[in-house]
Amino acid sequence: MFLNKSPFLLLLLLSSITFSQNCTLEGLVTFNNNEPVLGAYVTIQNKTLKKETATGIDGEFKFNTIPFGEYHLEIYSIDAKPKKIKVVLDANKKTIHTTLTLTDYQDLDEVQVIRKSNKTIKETQGFAVSVIKTKEAGLRNMQTNELLNATAGVKIRQNGGLGSSVSYSLNGLSGSAIRIFIDGIPISVYGNSYNLNSIPPSMIKDIEVYKGVVPGHLADDALGGAINIVLHKGTRSHLNASVSYGSFNTVQTHINGLYRFDKSGFTVKGSLFNNYSDNDYKVSGRSIVVTGLGGVQTPITARRFNDTYRSTGGMAQIGYTNVKWADQFLIGFNASEDYKEVQHGAFMTITPYKGRFLESDALLANLTYQKKDLFTEGLDVNINGVYGKRNRAVNDTVAAAYSWNGERAIDFRGDEYEYTWGSQQEGGPTLAKIKRHVASIRTGVSYEINEHHKVLVNYVYSGIDREDSDALQSYLENTFKGTRNFDKNIYALTYEISAFENKFKASLFGKHYQQKTTSIDPAIETDSEGNSTVVDEIVSSNNTFNGYGFATSYAITPKLTVLASAEKAIRLPNETEVFGNDGDNVVANPSIKPEQSNNYNLGFRFGKFNFNKHGLTVSTNLFTRNIKDRIGLPIENSFNIDDELILYVNQGSGTSKGIDAQLNYTYNRNFTLNFNVSKFELNIVNSGIEIDVPNTPFMTMNGNLRYSFKNLIQQKSRLNLFYSFHFTEDFSYSPKQGSNTVGDDFFKVPEQLAQDFGLSYAFPNKQLVVSFDIKNIFDKPVYDNLSVQKPGRAFYFKLNYSIHKF
Amino acid sequence: MKRNFLNIQTLGLLAISIGLFTACTSDDDNGGTTDPNPEQTNSRWITVAAAKMGTNPGDGNGGTLIYSVSTEDAKDPTISINAFDNGFIAPSNRTARLQSSEDGNTIFNISYAGDTGGNYTKYTVGGGQNFTQTGSAISIAPYVGTAPRWIKLFDGDNTGAAVYVDTEHQFDDNGTPDDETDDFYTHTEATIGVVTLDLVNSAINNFEEHVVPLSAEEEAQGYYFSRIDMPTLNAAGDKLYIGARLSKVDPATAESDSDFEILGSKTIVLDYPSLLNPQVITSTVGHGNTNGYRSINSFEYNGSVYQANQSDPEGSHILKIDANNQYDDTYDFNLDDALGVEGAYILAWRPAANGKAVLAYRHNGSAEGVAGAQGFFALVDLNAKTAVKINGIPDNTDLYLFQYQGFVVQDNDIYVTQAPVGQNGNIYVVDTETGNVTKGAELVNITGSHFIGTF
Repeated sequence: MFLNKSPFLLLLLLSSITFSQNCTLEGLVTFNNNEPVLGAYVTIQNKTLKKETATGIDGEFKFNTIPFGEYHLEIYSIDAKPKKIKVVLDANKKTIHTTLTLTDYQDLDEVQVIRKSNKTIKETQGFAVSVIKTKEAGLRNMQTNELLNATAGVKIRQNGGLGSSVSYSLNGLSGSAIRIFIDGIPISVYGNSYNLNSIPPSMIKDIEVYKGVVPGHLADDALGGAINIVLHKGTRSHLNASVSYGSFNTVQTHINGLYRFDKSGFTVKGSLFNNYSDNDYKVSGRSIVVTGLGGVQTPITARRFNDTYRSTGGMAQIGYTNVKWADQFLIGFNASEDYKEVQHGAFMTITPYKGRFLESDALLANLTYQKKDLFTEGLDVNINGVYGKRNRAVNDTVAAAYSWNGERAIDFRGDEYEYTWGSQQEGGPTLAKIKRHVASIRTGVSYEINEHHKVLVNYVYSGIDREDSDALQSYLENTFKGTRNFDKNIYALTYEISAFENKFKASLFGKHYQQKTTSIDPAIETDSEGNSTVVDEIVSSNNTFNGYGFATSYAITPKLTVLASAEKAIRLPNETEVFGNDGDNVVANPSIKPEQSNNYNLGFRFGKFNFNKHGLTVSTNLFTRNIKDRIGLPIENSFNIDDELILYVNQGSGTSKGIDAQLNYTYNRNFTLNFNVSKFELNIVNSGIEIDVPNTPFMTMNGNLRYSFKNLIQQKSRLNLFYSFHFTEDFSYSPKQGSNTVGDDFFKVPEQLAQDFGLSYAFPNKQLVVSFDIKNIFDKPVYDNLSVQKPGRAFYFKLNYSIHKF
Repeated sequence: MKRNFLNIQTLGLLAISIGLFTACTSDDDNGGTTDPNPEQTNSRWITVAAAKMGTNPGDGNGGTLIYSVSTEDAKDPTISINAFDNGFIAPSNRTARLQSSEDGNTIFNISYAGDTGGNYTKYTVGGGQNFTQTGSAISIAPYVGTAPRWIKLFDGDNTGAAVYVDTEHQFDDNGTPDDETDDFYTHTEATIGVVTLDLVNSAINNFEEHVVPLSAEEEAQGYYFSRIDMPTLNAAGDKLYIGARLSKVDPATAESDSDFEILGSKTIVLDYPSLLNPQVITSTVGHGNTNGYRSINSFEYNGSVYQANQSDPEGSHILKIDANNQYDDTYDFNLDDALGVEGAYILAWRPAANGKAVLAYRHNGSAEGVAGAQGFFALVDLNAKTAVKINGIPDNTDLYLFQYQGFVVQDNDIYVTQAPVGQNGNIYVVDTETGNVTKGAELVNITGSHFIGTF
């Protein structure tokens, strides 16, 4: 591990320094009808300091460790007139109670306090977006991928346990049609060691899932949508630590902290994570057999024995926050590495792997700059960049055959044997290494002309220089291996408007994509004197394309909002599709066109309806995706069967259409119920023939319940009970067969119903939270892919510790 | 030839008892005659195989469906066979590689790719969609991988053989083991694996691996065996011939060459049943590959093995390997000449015991159909070295025969399926002796799909 612990130690050290001349300011905000003000925005500031918070359910707010001095306190609520108060802090503790004057609702009998969370604001802008909150999940034994999978319209398909490969699908579109970002930076930049398998939910503020239509500020060639992981940006000093232990020897630890010197704004921020799992869960099924003399097979229930996963990493940043010239200015680095054993290929076959593993690491420098109201009010600037290198290695050098019982396999004669191909996966031994230099920067400037008009300009660059080598291959082969460089520039211009007392909101955007791919293939050139030299043959391909779209919402009544959005989206061909791949005998097709899709969403949001203590929100989204120029490989025929030459081509169109719906119900703030259902149809057209796409789960349902007890066992403690279920309708790996055929079951991926139970207990001091989870309580076999079994029942225990007072 | 017309009875008994099996195999000596056994009725099951479209018309990746009818029904044009609606789906992720017993009572399948790739299963044919699995599960994946190239040997349906080749480029360190910058390419080493499978008892018979070199000169130029397939037993039953494809790298860079001189067709010869002592024989008549595709590519007839080649710059040949296990280079049967076309390419073929064969081919003049080049059927005489297009089987631009796998031979009759991609077709029965063509049962097709033969 190349990460030393110094940033963290520094953090601990800093946390022990205390400043005696500090004040804690507590306050209470009520409307002039004595109702508490929820979610009012409260700032305290003077020349050197600015802090912000929001009021809680009872109208309360609190600022910790404010140095003595004179300050302006400003309070904003959408339902009342803003208020500015001058406060002088000269004692260790100060309390303030203030009243806001209601604006619109004075003459109503009943006053409803409408508090729109950040989540609600994002979800009613007009985009088909789901915002996933991670606050509660971060305290539980949850993976980020599990959170995503429970979201309407999102389907995660995982090829095993913790750390195994994952595919993401949004409304039926999957693979490279879906782009995933961390704070707007493509996750591919970070590589496998820092991905959704390794980032714990507690590092994440929230996850935005944009379906089909992606706002300009997240522009990329995302044909089917984008998932953006938003990391915490808070500036309050804190320290969180958690450790989780559970089935399959799974240990996950995570620490993050931030310390801010209130006087100077100097901020130190860091986080560390470590994941480990043996993934030795039990599997059985038609290919889980032990082979004896003559090849006789005996079915067994086996424990996976070559599936260990380990990932470690962290991030450290220093800089200034909430200072005059920057809300956030942080530079730092990000380091991670992982190790993943591979138990089998795409399917579980009778020949499990032993000794095949993948490794990756990444070391990246990062930069964040954010400033609201730069130079002039309404001008916001946002810059986020990473630069560094990452490496990936595949190791498969064991020729010995192993059996599902974990021991050497015997051949038909009874002798231990080795595979003809000399490795676990057919194709021969490999020590392949891919080195990449990566860079990505996303910048955004927005200007709010007035309350109703806003213009945003965004630019994102990402570049990858890739170099392959294999220590098991000769110098000659490694010399003549090509390198591929990849540069992508995307510009987006967005205009946002709100009108009719904010009932109408619209965002119009245009995106300009430019992608340059370069292949450098060494070749031998003979000059006039017959001397041979190795020269680089450099070929470049430049693709440009324009896309555009809009998102709009209209609140017909405060309880009914209609949302509509559309985008002409594209996916630019990747380097393999443009230049081919020597290893797979794919040749270049520089004239290949991008995949295109016209994406449409129409959504309705009802609520939130409140009656007595009940609260109900129902929302739904109807969508279609009309894809054309899909990129694929042509079929094998008698002309190309011997050719070393195949090339990617644009081969047809496709359509995905369906519906997502979700329901949220709350009672008395201690019971919540969420339910969602997604259903879609997906078909493609090749050579004029339309077929239903097989091997796709077309219908999923998720539900969860939470019940919260206050003051159980101890005063001021809180116990949460959770139950959730995840249902996936059965589907077939093969295309739909005829009405009366026999043998369809062979290809069936059975219906899945996994039910989880969890509880968490927050001790009265709120610093310690303990949680316990049982996954897949009824130990049902679950499969995301044909015959690849996922873990059965599992138990996890987790301790979280957090300090917010230094 | 060990074609055994008593196998209806034999196989029925085989399924019950190994003891009876050994007793019956001695009847093999009766094989090789063209007279049908008088005790036997002339009916058998004709199993039709249909390949459903996966993602592209004619790709056949959407499932392999089989459906059986009697010979009477197969010959009856008023009968409709709707395999896509009523068939049995052979368990295989990609198009199943099917074989049938000579009496038609058993279907042998080795699953191709996916989680069960390499699994051997056999089914007793019960007519219609009724295929009853018999025997125990066994897999050849440990020996030849999950996408095995296999066929049955014509030894009374006792044995199947599958092959694999692994290649690795070899380099010379130029006398300086520590300095790899001056290393140079010497040759590409091809290691073949051959497994034989007891079809009756569902057990592995034998497995051997060999490094099979080419000549020093060929190796220095970068030629190597890149694919092998179609093991065929010679008449004496003591040698196994394996068809092969050559590829080539540029020795200067060790990168694949795409435009190179096609060498004389080659076959790897192994001792049988030991699978030892590999030899390579080379034809001077034909050039190009002998590994075929999905249909059996070489057959024993009258003491010799007749082998088709593909990708021959002069058009496909049928080559002859004599009882001395060498190519008979005096036998020159070129399909371009015989058919009067350019660029003939043999897609699949099958001789009857009279030395006359039905052959599926395409040529440079084939129209480009929805899935690829149009295919045709020809009637071939191995002795006379003649080939005549069978006009009794209708032409259709979308008749795509690249994936064609199976022919049923009954006496002099050969049963073929003719169904253009996405269009209905028929079974056709070709009397190889007279050349008469009988239109048989209708084959009901669905969009993008086709039929890949009879078993």
